[in-house]
Amino acid sequence: MTFVIETRGLTKTYGSVRALDGLSLSIPRGGVYGVLGPNGAGKSTLFRILLGLIRPTAGEAVVMGGAVGDVAASRRMGSMIETPRFPPFMTARQVLGWLSAAHGLKADAARVSGWLERVGLAEAADRKVRGFSVGMLQRLGVAAALITEPELVILDEPTSGMDPPGIQEMRALIRSLAERDGITVILASHQLLEVQRVCDRVAILNRGRLVREGAVSELTSSGERLRLSVTPISKTLEVLAALSYASGSLDGDAVVATLSRPETPALLRALVEAGVDIDEARWVGADLEAVFMTETGSVQMPESIHAG
Amino acid sequence: MLADAIRSETYRFTRNRMAVFWSILFVPVLFLAIGTAVQFFTKARMAEMAEALPPEMTAEGGPMALSGTLDLGQSLLAQAGDFANPIVMLFVLIGAAIIYAGDYRWETWRLTSARNTRINLVAGKVALVFGVVLVALATWLVFGLIGELIKAAIFERPLAFSFADERPGQFAGLIAVTVTRVMQFTMVGLLAAVMSRSLLAALFVPMVVAIGQFFLMQALPLLAWSAGDLQAHLLIPGLSHDSLKTLVQGGPDAAAAPDGLAWKAITGLTVWTIVPLVAALAWFSRQDLSKE
Repeated sequence: MTFVIETRGLTKTYGSVRALDGLSLSIPRGGVYGVLGPNGAGKSTLFRILLGLIRPTAGEAVVMGGAVGDVAASRRMGSMIETPRFPPFMTARQVLGWLSAAHGLKADAARVSGWLERVGLAEAADRKVRGFSVGMLQRLGVAAALITEPELVILDEPTSGMDPPGIQEMRALIRSLAERDGITVILASHQLLEVQRVCDRVAILNRGRLVREGAVSELTSSGERLRLSVTPISKTLEVLAALSYASGSLDGDAVVATLSRPETPALLRALVEAGVDIDEARWVGADLEAVFMTETGSVQMPESIHAG
Repeated sequence: MLADAIRSETYRFTRNRMAVFWSILFVPVLFLAIGTAVQFFTKARMAEMAEALPPEMTAEGGPMALSGTLDLGQSLLAQAGDFANPIVMLFVLIGAAIIYAGDYRWETWRLTSARNTRINLVAGKVALVFGVVLVALATWLVFGLIGELIKAAIFERPLAFSFADERPGQFAGLIAVTVTRVMQFTMVGLLAAVMSRSLLAALFVPMVVAIGQFFLMQALPLLAWSAGDLQAHLLIPGLSHDSLKTLVQGGPDAAAAPDGLAWKAITGLTVWTIVPLVAALAWFSRQDLSKE
């Protein structure tokens, strides 16, 4: 497996605050990779270091096979971090022409028009950026990250400020970048449902450290539970407490049992023998939000997480 | 890579029509308009002025000559020597400040900084400002010549173009001195832009420094310094510019210049150009560009 980004012991301190605390992370080439974490987890600091905007206090990072600051390697990467800003007197088309020039490319009208089309800005191509909404700036930011046709693109909150159809379009675009164009996409978002839908793998950061990393399917399947709609609930909980292979807890008007799948018939039999009426028994996977909450130990979810 | 930085800076600057107008076109147009109005006024009052002024002032070849052949070669030299005047420098500085501080103001460093080395990013800006200064100079000269043609038409004076002997050398020398002076002025703006991340600082710091240096120049006699003292040139680049201009133009003032004035003036102008540039490069190369 080849990696587009590798960090080892990456640390960044701002005074007494450790924004990154010995982060070691390897991001494989291909697919869409999500970087998750609550506010202050270190996501933006990580991206800023990878882009060479700031220097780490300790540790090292390798991007596209070169050290951070290696321009030849950095030129194979595109990025959009935080809310994108552009010179207000330029049109969207001119912004892409300008960034093409910065990259040593000629302002190829077809390429510029193609990316404006793909991000949904074809009709606004010749409008000045100063009149753009936040959602339009996000779209232009994504086009700006992609205009040089990089092998790796980092997108920080790409759907921020977009309406639901826009979010859906962006999700489709991100998947197509990975699947059609073969671009490795690294995505940071608070929209956990979006991340779950679009990412192949995720890393969860908390307080500057990596707390969990893996394929989305692995992370969610590892949290599978058996959801039981039963009567009476108290009897069900008693049965579960007495079993060695299972445990249970109350979740609203249902009981959630933790056990391995092969033990399911035995559990159901035990419940029936104890006189419990079972209306429904259904395996449910943990969603990414549950994994995120568990791993980050968040007591209160940020509002943006609820929105996802 | 440096070519990429220059190309992208040029691409962006040329799309900023207001910046192009104020930094390159405004002053030549303003001077041409005012100059033409003055010529018409003078023409209307020519008889009264001829009586009021001393005859040597208005005689052919005199500073207020109203008749005789108008030498465009001489006009070109005078125009080149006047390029680094405070008004031109101020308006060129507007363009330079936008080039130097634009990425902080628009928060666009994050879009370009990964694509080039930091040295190249700054060098690209400096190269573009140099280009802007040259274009502003060319515009200044062209509009100056247009003003002379208008003057010739108004006063019905014949035209000549004398540019032989020492004049090409003087012209080249004046361009080198005045362009260096304008670049030196913008270098203070570059350092201010990088250190403060502010467009306003890039504009006002060079102005404040220049005003301070102007008053210092007036105070030279109080300090018992003269134009021949190296420390005066190390503090006042405007004095270096004036001194070099005098030496290039020749004549009795140049002949009376103190020994070693040329190298002292060159040292002063060079130090005030190179030191801010090197300081800005050093500062920028370690700057946290996430705080735009």
